[in-house]
Parts: sequence; C-alpha cells; structure tokens
Amino acid sequence: MTTTKSPLIFNIVAECPTSKARVSRMTLHHGSVDLPVFMPVGTQGTLKGMLPEQLEKLGLQIMLANTYHLGTKPGPEILEQAGGLHKFMNWNGCLLTDSGGFQMVSLLKLAEITEEGVRFQSLNEHKAEVMLTPEHSIGIQNAIGADIIMQLDDVVKTTNPNKKRIEESVHRTTRWLDRCLKAHKKPDTQNIFPIVQGTLYEDLREQSAKDHIQRDVRGFAIGGLSGGESKDDFWRMVHLSTDILPKEKPRYLMGVGFAEDLVVCCALGVDMFDCVFPTRTARFGCALTRTGQLNLKKEQFKKDFRPIDENCPCNTCKNYTRAYLSGIVTVLPVACHLITEHNLVFQMSLMKDIRESIKTNKFPQFVAKFMLDLYPDKNYPTWIRDSLSAVNIKLL
Amino acid sequence: MKFYVESLTKCSQRLGTLSEIEGKPSVAIRTPAVMLHTQKLSQGGQIPHITHEVFRLVSRKPQILQIPLAGMHTFKEAIQYYEGTISSFIGSKDSLSCLTLQDPCNITKQGHHSSLKVPIWTKNGKVYYDAKSYMDVVESFKPDMYFLLSDGDTNISSSEKRVSKSVSNTISFYKDCLERHRKSEVLKHSFVIAPVVGGYKHLAREKYIEAMLEDVRDVDGFLIDGLHNNGPETEFLEFHEIEPIVQCIVDKLPVEKLHVVQGCWNPVNIIGMVELGIDLFDTSYCHILTERSAAMTFAIEPTERTNAYEINLRDAKYVDDFQPILLGCDCLSCAIMCTITCDSLKK
Repeated sequence: MTTTKSPLIFNIVAECPTSKARVSRMTLHHGSVDLPVFMPVGTQGTLKGMLPEQLEKLGLQIMLANTYHLGTKPGPEILEQAGGLHKFMNWNGCLLTDSGGFQMVSLLKLAEITEEGVRFQSLNEHKAEVMLTPEHSIGIQNAIGADIIMQLDDVVKTTNPNKKRIEESVHRTTRWLDRCLKAHKKPDTQNIFPIVQGTLYEDLREQSAKDHIQRDVRGFAIGGLSGGESKDDFWRMVHLSTDILPKEKPRYLMGVGFAEDLVVCCALGVDMFDCVFPTRTARFGCALTRTGQLNLKKEQFKKDFRPIDENCPCNTCKNYTRAYLSGIVTVLPVACHLITEHNLVFQMSLMKDIRESIKTNKFPQFVAKFMLDLYPDKNYPTWIRDSLSAVNIKLL
Repeated sequence: MKFYVESLTKCSQRLGTLSEIEGKPSVAIRTPAVMLHTQKLSQGGQIPHITHEVFRLVSRKPQILQIPLAGMHTFKEAIQYYEGTISSFIGSKDSLSCLTLQDPCNITKQGHHSSLKVPIWTKNGKVYYDAKSYMDVVESFKPDMYFLLSDGDTNISSSEKRVSKSVSNTISFYKDCLERHRKSEVLKHSFVIAPVVGGYKHLAREKYIEAMLEDVRDVDGFLIDGLHNNGPETEFLEFHEIEPIVQCIVDKLPVEKLHVVQGCWNPVNIIGMVELGIDLFDTSYCHILTERSAAMTFAIEPTERTNAYEINLRDAKYVDDFQPILLGCDCLSCAIMCTITCDSLKK
C-alpha cells in the first residue's frame, strides 16, 4: 500500500482581520508557493528574455505557460517524449497552464463554439479546421504536465451584453468542467481548477461559483474579467466571487497584473494572479515603479543617470541608468531582458510586501500608503475607494 | 595597462599578458585572447542576447568588451554629462572596455568617403567622424583601450586608388589622434591601439607602417585593419588569402606590442593567425552563427563527443532530439539546451 500525496495542499498562514486578504502556502508537486502570488507568463515554455536559472535566482516559485501555443508547437507528442514541459524547458519550479480556450477566442476570428468544443482554423500551414474539446485540452495539459491546469471554459467577451448567451456559457462551462474532470489522466500530480464565469451578471456568477464548488477540486479560478469592463463592475464581480468560493481553497483571478489591481484584489481575498502585462510592457520599454510607470523611450530620460528605482534590489537597478536603458530600449533584445528583470522583481516584491504586511497585521496601512504613493494628490479613482471601503480599508 | 609578451620571435605564436590596469591592479588577461563582441545599432555595449548578468553565469573572469562606436553614437551627448567610464555606463563596471570604430558583425558599406572623415552607420543613419570629433568621443567615454581612427574600408579586391586613399587618410588620423592623446589627461592610462591599413597591397602596408613607425611612442598595440569590410562574409575568407598579407604586416611591426585582428573569422583562420603572432581577436563569429541558428559542435576538450563541425538547430531532425548541443560540454547552453530549443522554435 502506498499513500498518495495530495497534489495540492493549501494552508492559511495569516489572515487580515479587517479585509478578506490572507497569506497562505500552497504546496504543489514541484514545490511550494507563497500566496498571494503573481505568476508571470512564459507563453511558449520560456519567459522571454529570462533564463530559468535567473528566475530561480530571483526566487520565482510559479509561472504560467499557454496550452494553445505549446499544443501547436512543439505539440503534445514531443512534450510527452521530453517528459513534460518542466524537463523540456529546464524549469524545476511550479507551472500552471491555461486551457487554450481563451487564445482560440482572442487570437482567432474564426472560432465557433458548440457543445462539443471550440472549432477554429488552425494556425499551421494546412489551415485545417480543428476542434478543441474539453477532453483534448486536458490531454494536451496532461502532456505538458503543469502542477495546476485549467478547465476549458466557454469564453464570452466580458462586455457582451447578451445575457442569454452568457447564461448558456455559464452552464456549458460547468458541463465542460465535468468532462475535463472525467478526462483527467494525472490526478496525482496535476490539479484542475474550474473557472467561474458569468461576465458581469451577479446572478450568473453566483450560479457559476455555486455549481463549481460542488465539484471535488482543490482550487478555483475567476475568469471572464479583465476584458475591457469598467473597474466598477470588475471589483464587484471579484468581491462577489470570493464571497462564495470556499476559504480553505486557493482563488485565482485570471489576467490581472496591474499593481493597484493586485493590491485591491488581495484585499478582496484573491490568492493568485497572472498577466502578460509586466513582461510585455517591459519589451516595449516601460518600467514599473510604485509611483507609476516610466516609459524609458521618452526624451526626458536621455540624461537621467539614476536607476529606474533607487530602492529596487534588482540587477538592472544596481547596474544601469535610465539614460543607458533609454538609449537601448526597443531596439534589440537585451534591453528587453534588463527591463523584464526589473518588472519581474517589481511584481514579486510587491507581492512579498503584501504578504509581509498581512503577516504583521498591517495590511490596511500598507494599502493606504501604497495608494497614497500612487495618488499623492489623493485623487483616488472611485472604484479604488469603493472596493477598499467594501472590505473596511480606509484611504489616507 | 601594459602588454608583456613572452617570446620575441617574429611571426610566431606567442603567449602574453595584459596587466597593470588602472583601477584594476589584480586583473591580468592572458593572450591570445578574445574580446567579447558587443553590438552596434543602438544596442551599445551589450553582448548580443546576453546581458552582463547572464554572462556572469558563463564566466566570472574579467573580460574585455569590444564596444563599437557605431553602437554608442546614440549616447554621445548623454555621456558627456556622465561621470563614470564607458564600462560602468553600459552596466559592466568590472569589465575592461575597448572602443572600436565599426561593428565586425555588420557589413561596413563601401564608398561614402569624404576627405579626412570616416562614415559610421548608426540607428539614425550615416554619421561622419574626423580625428577631432572622434577623439572628443574617446575622451568622454574614457575606455581602457581604444583604436585610433582609421579608414579601413578595403578588402581583397580593393583598387590601388582606394588603398592609397585609405593609407593617406589613416596616416593623417594617426598623427592627429596621437597628438590629441598625448595632451589628454583623462586618456593617460588608456591603451592605444593603432590601426594598420593598406588592404592586400604589400607596398601600401609597408608605406603605412614606415610612416607610423617614425613616431610610435605611446602606441601600445596594432590593429591589422582593412582586411575585410566586416559582416558575415569575413567567415568565408580562406586562410591562404590572408596569410601572406598578415605575415608581411606582423613581420614589420614591433614584436613587443599587442597585435589585434577584428572580425568574425572562422576558428581555422583564428588558429592560423595565432600561429602568425596575433594576440587578440573578438567573439563576433559567435553572433553570426547564432543568427543563423547554428551551434559549434567541433570538439575542443577531450571529454566532448562529436562528429559535426556545427549543427543547425532549425533542422527538423532536432525537434525530438533531447540531447544537449554537444555531449560532454559543460557550457551553460548545453546545460540549458532546452531553453535554446524553445527560443529557436519561436521564430
């Protein structure tokens, strides 16, 4: 008899007594992750501009890879032969993959969604029509072998006003969840997270969350947000979802990565985030700081011999001036690498500060100070005021 | 910085040391050596694709960075206001810097000459430098080593007229730059490398060297310039094409000084030139190989098992080949070969 170890163990370390924020530790097949966490995106099995060695040295615990891209190239067969993506890309930390469904809808004009799955025109040379079913998505994700994998969901544009279509997507997403769970071949090492849908309709979101929490899963994702909706709608949907999702399981808000959104959503009880923004914007020459973004392409930095951020511990800030970065950004890859490293360290240290402040019982103060740094004239956007006051955090 | 050579036999392979470096007393670089090629465009001062931080994963030994002015022109103004040296500006203060004119990876367009001016191609197009404007930049960059200005726009098929123009321009640059160097306080510790021009014409080379040797005090080394117009073509020059002229030049140069050759030479030519007494090369060859997705796989260490000179990672047969690039190689890439596979898959 062998005892199988659970592929996800979730322990709450500290809770904020004021808001819904919490610090926890999630132990997966490839290691532990301190939550709340921001997961950078390494679309094709490489985080552009960074070696796995560097990411490990930065203390990164988990990153995301995209099933759609990896399923197209190199394809599940090669990944299977390589022994999974971890071995293929030489990354020993944790991985999370999406279902591929989002890219179908966002990248491809010709996607058609039926009960069977998503039909789309493949990007390969044959341009053949391909069907991505829940079973197929899980099959690819089993080959990739990420620690957390996502169910295929019926993605509707967040700003789509057709309630009937959204209602259909909520029910279909749950039906597809059951098909995904049934098709899952590696339940001992990989966890499927369901995705709460329902775009901006409270009743539908509530229904979606309530349906999903009936299933035997170890964590949940909140999807269908961060798609162009107003921030006022956005935070209310997050708030509503985290109220329903069980406290003793991790909650992952998909596609969110702006610093202020991370801070607010941590207060609303979210544990995991991902977004291409910090790494993509780096490649366009934009560096993140606690007081806003620096577009290093701008003329004003040409003779600015300060680092991006004097208090940042990253290599880029230790060794390079804004003037130098300004001269090399967006021309060839190395500048992207340098700014990518800074932006990653920025995201990771923001999350670390959030965790520390919760642990030391100072989260509300941290949030207030963070917002004041960002809005020194106290012109806080309404959604920030409202969302924080919903969880009893007062701004300075 | 001083250069010490162990053998004073002309035109033969030799060992040497660059040492007594201002501000870096413990650093010594053994020759024959390579400078790390950094890129032009406005990519100034970075090894292609490898940040200085990543390079430290490969080696922590001190290195000389070859910094083409063509890539640093964009910082010309900013750096006048900057207090440190070029090495610290580009984020690698522990490295030595060698300021050069052109990027050996990029073809230097022929023609475009103007009397006593040399064109370089920057992000914003063609820019001319003369002895004065060039030395202004050298002074503000404060490199550990630098090439004097030269008109090296010659190759194996250059006409007599072009070669003779290149010689007369460069003699003039040589005098003006050296005079300026001697007056310069900030450059008094910089290692001066004088380009030797004259294409493949033995008489022109001799004429130039003769003129130069009239006053060679303060010159620490020589660059054999004008063998090619840079760019990937350099790789395909045959050793028998360059051997006679390189030998003729080395034979006439003071033996105790550093001998430099630039360009993306293939390893066979590098070995040939080492045997002729060249001390310093650069790594631009690595860049052009990488650009065509190729990896060198000939064996250097006895532990390495191989049967190919180079492999092309775009070849479909590598799609499901999970071996490192070179079995037995302990370089970072062989340890992380999967990352590179993914990188090339992206394209």
